[in-house]
Amino acid sequence: MSQTLDLSRISCLVVEDSTFVRSLLVACLNALGVRQVKIAEDGGDAIEFLKLQKSDPMKAGVLSIDIVISNWQMSPVDGLILLRWIRRHADSPNRFVPFIMLSGHSAPNKVAEARDAGVTEFVTKPFSVAMLAQKLQMVVERPRQFVHTSTYFGPDRRRRSETFSDNERRLLTEKSPGVEVING
Amino acid sequence: MADDTKVPTKVRLYRFRNVLRDKVGFGAALGGEQAKIDPKALEQANAALEQMKEDYPDWVQKHIDELRVHHARSVDTPTERVRRYAKMREIAHDMKGQGGTFGYPLMTTFATSLHDFVGPRAGTTDSHIEVIKSHIDAMAAVIKDRVKGNGDEVGQALTKGLQAAIERYSKIG
Repeated sequence: MSQTLDLSRISCLVVEDSTFVRSLLVACLNALGVRQVKIAEDGGDAIEFLKLQKSDPMKAGVLSIDIVISNWQMSPVDGLILLRWIRRHADSPNRFVPFIMLSGHSAPNKVAEARDAGVTEFVTKPFSVAMLAQKLQMVVERPRQFVHTSTYFGPDRRRRSETFSDNERRLLTEKSPGVEVING
Repeated sequence: MADDTKVPTKVRLYRFRNVLRDKVGFGAALGGEQAKIDPKALEQANAALEQMKEDYPDWVQKHIDELRVHHARSVDTPTERVRRYAKMREIAHDMKGQGGTFGYPLMTTFATSLHDFVGPRAGTTDSHIEVIKSHIDAMAAVIKDRVKGNGDEVGQALTKGLQAAIERYSKIG
């Protein structure tokens, strides 16, 4: 029999400019067992909060943020800019934090854009509770290694380690010269 | 002595301990077994969503009422128009983000159109004010008639009506 996840010690940051959807997300997360949910009204608000959380966690009211759930389309600072800031900026409190992007965009090029910015999971609106729960479960149960190259920093974009019946076309493996594995 | 043959690092792979799994109460204890979200919690979350879906039309109606007030003041006090436009833009922005989530994509369409129409370079003639009214009327019709999805004939009629109003008043502009 599979165990159930106790999410009560997980802390989430919800970034959503619509008051109604924000309330909805908080209600869903609370119902799923997440007790600590911080909110931000757009990407800029989230960045200010994360800076505060890094410099003064007591004042921010949370020691760490375990998962960021953010809308993409917001102004003035959207979810993609927030994601890039979290992954790349020196002031980011945790460049490895799982990031779930919510978006009305479902076109493959938009999904690829988020993936290449280092998104962990992508949820297309309108979202369902089951979908949100599934993504939370993925984040907790199936974390991916992070990859840092000259052009990319984020979760490994290869979700599965596939074997090829054809010739191996991937240029590097973990044993290749120039590849460093950091365990922690 | 430095190792001249060492290849510079091109790729770093970070493999960290799964601290989230520790937080959800398992860590290594569970071995390879996958844990699931509690079905009861899922039910409760679904109930919360359904409850909010029921509240959605009321929430939108409040916004429509606010838009009507700003529109009315724009009609009777032309010098107020720029300020009222900014308020309407904020409201439209809030409305456009979630119509689809609650089954009212037309609301998102109309709110997006209004949001764009009252942008920083918007015209402030009486014709423009009429186009704003057409947007508000279309949104009100969606909620009054509970036009979900794209609304088939009703939705198409509303969309065409709004487009016609935009074209008509833009020419007069």
